[in-house]
Amino acid sequence: MINEQLDGQLRMATLDPLEGKQFQVRKRNGNVIDFDETRIYLAIEAALKADAELDQDTPANETMQADAQRLTQAVVERSLSHASDEAPIEIERIQDTVEDKLMEMGFRGAARRYIVYREERRKARAIRGDRTVDGQPQEQMFITLPDGGQEVLDPSRLKRDIYGACRGVEDKCQANDLFDETMRNLYDGVTTTEVDKAMIMSAKARIENEPAYTYVAARLLLNQIYEEVLPKFGAPAELPKVHREHFREYLQQGVAAERLSPDLLKFDLDQLADALDLERDQQFAYMGIQTIYDRYLIHIGGTRIETPQYFYMRVSMGLAVNEENKEERAIEFYNALSSFRFMSSTPTLFNAGTLHPQLSSCYLSTVDDDLESIFKLVADDARLSKWAGGLGNDWTNIRATGSHIKGTNGESQGVIPFLKVANDTAVAVNQGGKRKGAMCAYLETWHLDIEDFMELRKNTGDERRRTHDMNTANWIPDLFMKRVKEKGKWTLFSPSDVEDLHDLYGAAFEKRYEEYETMAEAGEIKLFKTVEAEDLWRKMLMSLFETGHPWITFKDPSNVRSPQDHTGVVHSSNLCTEILLNTSADETAVCNLGSVNLTAHLKDGALNEELIAQTVRTAIRMLDNVIDINYYPTPEARNANMQHRPVGMGVMAFQDALYQLRISYASQEAVEFADHSMEMISYYAILASSELAAERGAYQTYKGSKWDRGLLPIDTIDLLEQERGGHLTLDRSSQMDWAPVRESIAKHGVRNSNTMAIAPTATIANIIGVSQSIEPTYKNLYAKANLSGDFIVVNEYLVSQLKERGLWDAEMVQDLKYHDGSVLEIDRVPDDLKDIFRTSFEIDSKWLIACAARRQKWIDMGQSLNLYFDLNQVAEGQKTGPALSDMYFFAWEAGLKTTYYLRTLAATQIEKSTVNINSYGVQPKWMKSKSASSEVAPVAEAPKACSILDPECEACQ
Amino acid sequence: MSCCNVSDQRPEAHDLTKRINVEDKRLINCNAVDVNQLMPIKYDWAWEHYLNGCKNHWMPDEVPMQKDIELWKSNKLTADERRVIMRNLGFFSTAESLVGNNIVLAIFKHVTNPECRQYLLRQAFEEAIHTHTFHYICESLSLDEREVFNMYHEVNSISDKDNFEMKLTSDIMQEGFTTDTTEGIQTFLKNLIGFYVIMEGIFFYSGFVMILSFHRGNRMTGIGEQFQYIMRDESIHMNFGLDLINGIKAENPEAWTPEFQKEIDGLIEEAVELEIAYAQDCLPRGILGLNAGLFREYVQHIADRRLERIGLATKYGSDNPFPWMSETIDLAKEKNFFETRVTEYQTASALSW
Repeated sequence: MINEQLDGQLRMATLDPLEGKQFQVRKRNGNVIDFDETRIYLAIEAALKADAELDQDTPANETMQADAQRLTQAVVERSLSHASDEAPIEIERIQDTVEDKLMEMGFRGAARRYIVYREERRKARAIRGDRTVDGQPQEQMFITLPDGGQEVLDPSRLKRDIYGACRGVEDKCQANDLFDETMRNLYDGVTTTEVDKAMIMSAKARIENEPAYTYVAARLLLNQIYEEVLPKFGAPAELPKVHREHFREYLQQGVAAERLSPDLLKFDLDQLADALDLERDQQFAYMGIQTIYDRYLIHIGGTRIETPQYFYMRVSMGLAVNEENKEERAIEFYNALSSFRFMSSTPTLFNAGTLHPQLSSCYLSTVDDDLESIFKLVADDARLSKWAGGLGNDWTNIRATGSHIKGTNGESQGVIPFLKVANDTAVAVNQGGKRKGAMCAYLETWHLDIEDFMELRKNTGDERRRTHDMNTANWIPDLFMKRVKEKGKWTLFSPSDVEDLHDLYGAAFEKRYEEYETMAEAGEIKLFKTVEAEDLWRKMLMSLFETGHPWITFKDPSNVRSPQDHTGVVHSSNLCTEILLNTSADETAVCNLGSVNLTAHLKDGALNEELIAQTVRTAIRMLDNVIDINYYPTPEARNANMQHRPVGMGVMAFQDALYQLRISYASQEAVEFADHSMEMISYYAILASSELAAERGAYQTYKGSKWDRGLLPIDTIDLLEQERGGHLTLDRSSQMDWAPVRESIAKHGVRNSNTMAIAPTATIANIIGVSQSIEPTYKNLYAKANLSGDFIVVNEYLVSQLKERGLWDAEMVQDLKYHDGSVLEIDRVPDDLKDIFRTSFEIDSKWLIACAARRQKWIDMGQSLNLYFDLNQVAEGQKTGPALSDMYFFAWEAGLKTTYYLRTLAATQIEKSTVNINSYGVQPKWMKSKSASSEVAPVAEAPKACSILDPECEACQ
Repeated sequence: MSCCNVSDQRPEAHDLTKRINVEDKRLINCNAVDVNQLMPIKYDWAWEHYLNGCKNHWMPDEVPMQKDIELWKSNKLTADERRVIMRNLGFFSTAESLVGNNIVLAIFKHVTNPECRQYLLRQAFEEAIHTHTFHYICESLSLDEREVFNMYHEVNSISDKDNFEMKLTSDIMQEGFTTDTTEGIQTFLKNLIGFYVIMEGIFFYSGFVMILSFHRGNRMTGIGEQFQYIMRDESIHMNFGLDLINGIKAENPEAWTPEFQKEIDGLIEEAVELEIAYAQDCLPRGILGLNAGLFREYVQHIADRRLERIGLATKYGSDNPFPWMSETIDLAKEKNFFETRVTEYQTASALSW
């Protein structure tokens, strides 16, 4: 009706001279359409309604209609007076006229609405990156250059980068969508680095729907790295050449800036440059490349000078500087690293080839019961921490609260205040600005301050007795576990009264401890406390559950099975509970680490023995080289390492290997694989160390060691059973013929007191994009949070198997998100997949322990073994506390030396925002009790209202 | 209605007829049962929310602020980015107190069920912790506390939101207010919806997105972590509120008239516009990843979900324009213990022996 009236009005208008002519309007995108007054009328009416606060659905009243017609007429007259037959009228011009007329004719409110609306539309178009028919941006958005100047953003450059990054995965990734999403994230005045970031962030957010986006994001970042590091080059085809040729210059830059060691220039650089394989950059997933970009690639004043391949070569050169055929060795090392077969630990990757080659991951030290020793330890901690080492400190020798201080005739405050000092030191010294300082304090279970020690991580209580930034661990003697089992008593002492106890273990400890108990009963020792062993154990578990601390580690297996029992005592483990080495006043134990990637050694459903042998040989050589090149922050560290030369080679990607073999972690097959894979690696590690001894000599304190006594790790399990008096379920079988290894040791000795420890590989596994260490999959879809931010991780093995069966779709992604990355409750997932893709909390931790126990047969140090405990998985009717206790007893009896974090789940979550949660019910997933909300059914969506500000609404154009 | 509907007459000794019957418990207007007797419990959901709140206990000073302090003091934040952070601190620092006061002064008295009251007390304490958080942030970053805590009457977009809420509080606090009449129940529901659905369900959400977008870029992660803890609490607050609202509706169907539903719909619509105006005020020019224009879609998207959950029809049909929120909050998080603190633990009281 309005249109009829409008037509009539317009016909009546004094447009006679123009009658019969059809004018045209050019829209912003360049398209030309016929001039249509109706559009103008509707826009004006909408502005009037908006000003009157009327709903756009409500019809305009008569006055409003009349006003709108009057205005339209005025706008049409003015517009057509500018028109000519040849050129179409520009739409912007018409809109200017509408604005003018609204103002002129006194409709100020409506004019304001109209102006706001135009501005909103302009922004929306700019954000969408709308273009004209000839490809020019319709609206210009400015970008801010690094020098502060501005230029018009050219979306075609973004398009080129994004399409380039999607090459090869076009079937899975939509470059167009990615481009749109990037444009939506920009704003006027955005900086060039932010534009780069926006492209990556857009790709990264899509990984949950399609894992291939991780490679798109990785390539986008790789391109930025090439741009940052290499001199300008033209066509992408020139890249390998430019990359090769720039290598020498990179080293020179680094040396000149005093970041790299000048020794690196003594290599035959052309030979090394030719060995660089740029193709290997394509192996990176996004998290890996972002991680090395943020923290590993060497920079000068914030500008990276290394590409990933330069980085691997620099590390390899750093480890080969003392080799005779150093180019060959460097290339051998480079190939192991850059093909992701073996990865050195983070400190080695950070510092090899630099002027400060502190390459070791771990330091362990003990402290004596005097102020000088305590503050020396704190000062040493600071120095070791600065160079990215993790620290394990044994504090058991410090006298307990209430014990007598001879010098002042006062009473001691015990060990806790000193731990606070150590904690604050870790905060102050943050690993050279690269990652948080990290230390772990150990205390043996009979220490009189043990109950306060367990409270150190609590959120409540006296802050002066809390250490939020330090980890803590219990160093538990077997006798304590036995007392808990038999519901016996346990006596706490001050070490100043029982001076030899900390150095004793096995049967000798038991005998002495019981003597002290008798002395206490007889009143010969005044300061002691008797508790129920079970009460203390419960306290340990509750603290572990609530704060994740203190960890549970076992003193006796760690000592009884140690190869170096002839020359000292293991007083504690380290920051990650995998290193078990002797410490004393003169010796700070040091360990440098590296890990073999199991998946890189699987062929046709089995480990390739030849390839394992090759990788392990190279790895042990790299680790042994570290000892001589290493920069030692303290003389005690140098002293210990030069004498014993321990190294810790571990494994990673255990879970990924199981996926490739299609085995569930919760199965006997997994236990067998853990056993055999570790036996093979152990075999070649010990052999390699023995071969190195042949070449370079055995370590200094070899004489009298278990190696020298013909005792390999597998031979020491019986010893443990003897000392403990049973309580050991560990299997002792073997699959390989160890005679050649034993013969080699008898002939040459070994080069390293210890060769194996399984580290958490928290960061290096991210770099090469495999599952961490021996960890199960956390969730099939989750976000990993670290110093570089949050990363979406989706289980690619699961996705590819679901794709094979046609089950991977948007609904599956929603379901996975809703169920927090678990497939167990998704009906569409077939049962055989459910078993293989159980996640951390859905695998009974006893399987993790069983696998770890089998590995422990072969390892001369320990493993960082995280355990998982979900209250909801405990069988109905069973108490949760005893279930947790059983788990740790199972671990102790399986012969484990240590355990690491206990991971638990929070009670509830933040409401999910990208899942249509209401479709799963109004009550949240975790609620067990029904409420009236469960009766509320989502109501179908009402039709969209028309809003003048709706940027998509064509009616107003 | 008094604070506790205990009769003045002393019951006869051993008069078993005075013992409470669980079926007599009512969310509001309960005159038959003593509000001091928690057990037997009728509304298990309220008790469950209470337990979950306790298990999630946290304190703001557990979160290290060192990295935030370094960034805040550096020149690496633009004026626009600082404005976003300041405006959000300004809003939340007082909003948490408004919610706390509404519970204690307005709602508590009229909720006549002890298990719900138990949760309300827990929630009030959590609001105090959240206010404490903003105190802790101000102190850590050495912000001008007068500026932050005064924004709610100095910045229009904030005071508009707060006035909207404060009116709902004062409606209940008026002398003679009672839930005995249908109008009274409606006014009470309006307050509950205003606080649980609108304040904690809509007004908090653009702020959450803005702060999390910094977190996403790995910046101001201390504040980001504080917000994640707060959001975890708020999710329970809102769900408790929804259960209470839907429960009152079910027990008093006469109050949930079509006219009243329309009124609520209008209330939410008004709130959506206030929230959009607030977002645009925080972000006049946009910052990376956060274009002010996208907030309209976002707030509408959130509002639709809220409408659904109290049984009203959705009206906007907008999608969440921030797909990255998936990685920031939706997905379970595995943290690298060396690098960030782990927030996934619960208190040991959850273990049974």
